[in-house]
Amino acid sequence: MLLEHLAGNLIQGLVLGAIYGMATMGLSLIFGVLKVVNVGHGAFIMVGAFITLWIFNALGLNPIFSIPIAFAVGLGLGLIFYSLAIRKLLKAPELSTLLATFAIGILLEELVKLIFGSEFRGYNWVVGKINLGVTVLPVAKLYACIGSIIIALLLYLWFNRTRAGSAVRSVVEDDEGARVCGVNVGGVYALSFAIGIGLTVASGVLVTMFIPVGINPYMGGGYTLKAFVIAVLGGLSSPYGAFFGGLIFGIVENGSYTLFALIPGVEPFALTRFLSFVMLLVILLIRPTGILKAK
Amino acid sequence: MRKTVQRYYPLFPVFAAYFILFLVGKNVSGMWQLVSTLLFYCALGQAFNIFLGMTGYVDFGYVAFMGVGTYGMAIAITRLAHVEALGVLIVAIGFAMALVMAALLSVAVGAVALRLRGAYFAIATIGVNEGFRFLIEGAKIWNGSDGMIFTAQLNQILGRETASALSTFWADVIVLIIAVLAAFVTLFYMKSKIGYALTALREDEDAAVVMGINVTKYKIIAFITSASFAGLVGATSWALKTPYVFPPEVFEIHYTIEAIIIVLLGGAGTLLGPVAGALIYGISKYYLSIFLPGFQLLIFAPIIIIIIILFPEGVIGMLKKSFRDSTLMRFII
Amino acid sequence: MVLLRLENVTKRFGGLVAVNRVSLKINSGEFVGIVGPNGSGKTTLFNLISGVYFPDKGDVFFEGKNITRLPPYKRAPLGLGRTFQIPRPFGSATVRENVAVGAMFGSLGGKINVDESLELADQIIERIGLGEHRKKRASTLTAVEKKMMEIARALAMKPKLLLMDEAMAGMHPKDIDQTVSLIKQIAVEENIAIVAMVEHIMRAVLGMAEKVIVLHQGSKLVDAPTKEALEDSRVVEVYLGRPLEE
Repeated sequence: MLLEHLAGNLIQGLVLGAIYGMATMGLSLIFGVLKVVNVGHGAFIMVGAFITLWIFNALGLNPIFSIPIAFAVGLGLGLIFYSLAIRKLLKAPELSTLLATFAIGILLEELVKLIFGSEFRGYNWVVGKINLGVTVLPVAKLYACIGSIIIALLLYLWFNRTRAGSAVRSVVEDDEGARVCGVNVGGVYALSFAIGIGLTVASGVLVTMFIPVGINPYMGGGYTLKAFVIAVLGGLSSPYGAFFGGLIFGIVENGSYTLFALIPGVEPFALTRFLSFVMLLVILLIRPTGILKAK
Repeated sequence: MRKTVQRYYPLFPVFAAYFILFLVGKNVSGMWQLVSTLLFYCALGQAFNIFLGMTGYVDFGYVAFMGVGTYGMAIAITRLAHVEALGVLIVAIGFAMALVMAALLSVAVGAVALRLRGAYFAIATIGVNEGFRFLIEGAKIWNGSDGMIFTAQLNQILGRETASALSTFWADVIVLIIAVLAAFVTLFYMKSKIGYALTALREDEDAAVVMGINVTKYKIIAFITSASFAGLVGATSWALKTPYVFPPEVFEIHYTIEAIIIVLLGGAGTLLGPVAGALIYGISKYYLSIFLPGFQLLIFAPIIIIIIILFPEGVIGMLKKSFRDSTLMRFII
Repeated sequence: MVLLRLENVTKRFGGLVAVNRVSLKINSGEFVGIVGPNGSGKTTLFNLISGVYFPDKGDVFFEGKNITRLPPYKRAPLGLGRTFQIPRPFGSATVRENVAVGAMFGSLGGKINVDESLELADQIIERIGLGEHRKKRASTLTAVEKKMMEIARALAMKPKLLLMDEAMAGMHPKDIDQTVSLIKQIAVEENIAIVAMVEHIMRAVLGMAEKVIVLHQGSKLVDAPTKEALEDSRVVEVYLGRPLEE
């Protein structure tokens, strides 16, 4: 009985983990290339969620169509914020970019609040459920999971099969070296930031496909913190590392929740969050390059 | 002798600002509320500056030290309220608890997180803050997410009138004293080897080590000092002014961000900076909330970005740069 | 008296051997030049001596004491000062404060207070010729001034051994002569051993040296009195095609 329950939760965790992973790839891409930690990460996920909500309610379009739209909006936002702020802060101390990205997050939250208000919203996309025996999986969640995997694969192909992708990789390795080899490092910074934000906004769509309720301007904070843990799991500067980090995180989160729930007199949800931060600290200390890298 | 006195000249403008604040609050009716908030920001900025400003390390989990300070006071009051002989002494015990708990947490966090640098340190400290909050909630430590409410205990042991005077007036005076102490310690550090070591490691940690500076030691000194003051601020501004404590409130990351903004706005690593930052931030936030309620953050966010890009050295940093060598600058560091 | 002794020191990075079984001796008060082209392991050798890296194999002795695994901040108080190839000033601090840091945490360590450190800094700044820049922020200095400030900062540490990494690179030949003789003069007065590292064979620097060590691909090629070393056929071969005069 417990095992069945655990198995069911682990499957849900795996599905959620794929989405978590996808939702962290942008953060890792931006850190890997620009060495900037986007503290406003969650706000961009929130923007994606609102795009989905608006397109679904106002235009009646299926959330899957929102993915490319959200990505395009994210690219635009990324370019705007890069040229207005980030570009000017690349040589500044960490404090500057940390605070600037935090302020960008606040700006987005407040703008969305101004337009949509701060109440919790949701949408209802009826596409049925699949019974897996140990658990029942809504098809929307399955689509979100598949969507995440496809996007991760596309990013992988772009990284490894295109000229732009290989320029980005060379900058991640060593930006001075890349500059010497004739790579337009400034362009790579702008492109990576834009794509990172694009991925993050697009992941907001997938997040709402998994949980289509609770959409509000301040929903991003929790995702920012989870994304930090996941990014660190994956080595902080590797987008695929982040994807697999997400899978691990989803499984650990759901699995540990099931187990903590067995202990009397505790709040299992909070302990799950506690565990994730313990994981964060332990990895940062013993293996700051992430648990997936062989080196 | 004259040199020693001269060394403490820069405290004059700081104390003058506090004195004026206090007089305005005391004598202009309806201003005490604002002054109380400003004193809180001053103390917070001055305390955080000792670590953030002097080392350049970004502690995103700074609020956790205020949080445990609040718990320290709360625990002392709830556990000892039945000992009637204590009277006002209970508050002193509360402060001792707050100080010890904040210092202990900072030693634990520092030992772990200060091995990391840059973004890794910042992320780790966020983790510590959130992790600590969820540990309290999850394992139901100190009443878990139900928090602690101790208005009744405070009334019982101090009497209703004293308790009320404590929360509406004396707590603010104590915050002022904490701010003064923090300013004093900051200047003392700046003028001693500690300050030179911190400047060196902030500018270039690897070079500092080769110059013979035990950087870990000095980082920990700054971290513990800064955290201890935060504990005292939490014990006063939160526990004594509003006698309750809930984990989501006292570990709210926005307070850390406010403290960062104050330090940066005024000038990180300067003595007068946190005061200038606190006044500018506190006053504009207060009036924005009156004239444009609900829009403060929308207005603040772009302003913060602009300041970071255009005036990264803050108000006092800019002043220092423009008026180097003038006599006035003997008073401003 | 032997001040610094390296015994079979080896340092690898990944598969690359940066420093390969290097042994050497520096006597107190001696002026030694280390020559080696870019990538010959000079900077790594300095980092091994000042403790930035620990060697994979071999030992480092300072005044007979094994310091192989001693962290850098504990080496400076023993009397080990250095400058960096690319200057690393504490940018927001003034020149005076930068140099005072050297005094405060160098070999005078616990014996000197802040005021005394500042006074000592002033003397050294004056002597090294940076007097007019005393109150400037270090970040506003020119590249050469930064190099000079680093030398002043290292001298303020009152070292027994001063490691200078390309200290004269980028200077006018005339300034180099002056600077080298000034440093040599101070070194004689205070009995400081100097190890100066240069990429090219600079007569101005090596001319002052009593001994020259030539590094090639991480190994010690030659270790001999200056004249002998510079005439060594292996050295000429390594530097073939390079100007012998800078």
